[in-house]
Amino acid sequence: MSLIEITKLAKSYSVFQKKEGLGASVRGLFSRSYKTIEAVRGIDLTVEAGEFVAFLGPNGAGKTTTLKLLSGVLTPTTGTATVMGHVPWKRENAYRRRFALVMGQKNQLWWDLPAAESFRLHQHIYNIDPQEFQKTRDGLAEMLDVARLLSQPVRELSLGERMKMELIAALLHGPEVLFLDEPTIGLDVVAQHNIQTFLKQYQQDRKVTILLTSHYMKDVMALCRRVVIIAQGRIIYDGSLEGILDRFGGLKVISLLVADGQMPDDLSRYGEVLKIEPPRAKLRVERSKVTEVLAAILSRYAIDDVSVEDPPLEEIIAKVFSDNREEVVGGSS
Amino acid sequence: MSNITTYWRVFRTFARNSLIRDMTFRSNFIIDSISSLAWVFLNVVLYLQVFRFTNSIGDHTGWGRYEFYAFFSTGLIVNALAQMFFMTNIDEFTDLIRTGGLDFLLLKPIDTQFMISLRRIEWSSLSNLAAGIIVLVYSMTRLPHLPGMGQCVLYGVYLICGVAIYYSLMITLGASTVWMGRNLTLYDFWFYITTFSRYPMEIYTGQLGRPLRFAFTFIIPVLIVVNIPARLMVRPLESQNGWLAGFALLATAASVAASRWVFLKALAGYRSASS
Repeated sequence: MSLIEITKLAKSYSVFQKKEGLGASVRGLFSRSYKTIEAVRGIDLTVEAGEFVAFLGPNGAGKTTTLKLLSGVLTPTTGTATVMGHVPWKRENAYRRRFALVMGQKNQLWWDLPAAESFRLHQHIYNIDPQEFQKTRDGLAEMLDVARLLSQPVRELSLGERMKMELIAALLHGPEVLFLDEPTIGLDVVAQHNIQTFLKQYQQDRKVTILLTSHYMKDVMALCRRVVIIAQGRIIYDGSLEGILDRFGGLKVISLLVADGQMPDDLSRYGEVLKIEPPRAKLRVERSKVTEVLAAILSRYAIDDVSVEDPPLEEIIAKVFSDNREEVVGGSS
Repeated sequence: MSNITTYWRVFRTFARNSLIRDMTFRSNFIIDSISSLAWVFLNVVLYLQVFRFTNSIGDHTGWGRYEFYAFFSTGLIVNALAQMFFMTNIDEFTDLIRTGGLDFLLLKPIDTQFMISLRRIEWSSLSNLAAGIIVLVYSMTRLPHLPGMGQCVLYGVYLICGVAIYYSLMITLGASTVWMGRNLTLYDFWFYITTFSRYPMEIYTGQLGRPLRFAFTFIIPVLIVVNIPARLMVRPLESQNGWLAGFALLATAASVAASRWVFLKALAGYRSASS
């Protein structure tokens, strides 16, 4: 049995459609129209113990809703899910002791008090042994380099420091499963890197199972081997990071260094010209035509150096999101 | 560790954290306490003026000057307790539902209603509580008979019942935000309800008064919140008190049970807010 098992999980909402204008607002008092939003559309997924899985997807894809379903915040419309054998939306205390949810855009610490006071509250809520609590708190504070800030009011911390405190609060009870919803959102590059390093180290040490949603590919590349891409409430890819290139990376980028600075003027016949800065040029060509194009170019022109690369992962994923959106919009029209 | 110990420790930490926060913003704390005391003082002055023109509230109702002050102080005490423990929390509950902040409370391995209801203790309400006790003690010393130990115990029990009825109304209204999406009427509702419960039930007579008395005794039982403990304290031998006291216990149990049911229904329908 897998640690997390999800079968045909779906969540839909009925949303009030407010029309523009005062007249429409008055009419809305007597008669209202609602639209059903299908946030998650029957997803199937299994996650094994100790995996670090990334959920990727554009805004509104259903990533956060899935995490909220798995943490029991929401009850699904249809479908089933178990995490460590528990049905999350039953909200059993036995389950709630074993996982944690961190949301980058929400704050669970007492705003006007030092984080240490919120940690103390967590100790009592989770019934953590005092010695164990102190050891864990100090260890985490040291790893995240915030020990000196424990007695500073949360409202006076920077966003990065606050997120570190949120992580400590979430980890004090030693959760076996950790749901991270955009934990690095809004952070600068250094703070992002610090949190990535911490999460990687923590996961390696504790073998915790982590589900992460993030818009930053750097988070995903630094931390996860397995990637689940969600778009329009459906899983459209579940596999390795490298596999995304095979599956969706239909194009390759050929970089040329032309000999003697004699830049050919008809490169566009071989593919899409991305850049020409003599003596260098970059072309985007279909993966299946790379050999043919290379042979043709090398036979016609004097080339000093050539390289073939995959386009950046961000670019591929952005295209996947965009294609998927067009598909759904096209399908529904 | 037993459940009760855990809940007690969590409550103690809530109380401690609230006190630390109040001490951090001491000016706010002092102003809050002073304005509350000023409100009590103005009410006392108002009723002193009223009793310059009459000796009792209504004819043959038994609510003479000092009986009424005991009634008034009981209202102060019940209100102060409800505000100290629940009002801020329930008001914040409506915001938590609207903004999605409730998510975190649903994750904790402890009763969610407990967490929501007692997260913050409004220590500044202690000033009103103290004022209420002082006015009560003063009134009792001015009455012909001092209350016995049994009366004092019963008074305490029915004070708790009164607070529980107020709390049930508050949490029910707060939980309804899940279905309404936005609910900013809690303070207004509180004002209207406490206005009705602020006077002895005997004043509700005549064609307009009787239906009000019936509705606020048996449907939304706010009239018994202050009336029962006050009657037991200052008019203990009246024949009506027995069944009213029995009914108050029943109404308290029913209110708490109904509010718990509504709360759980609301949590099941909670939609969170997008992040």
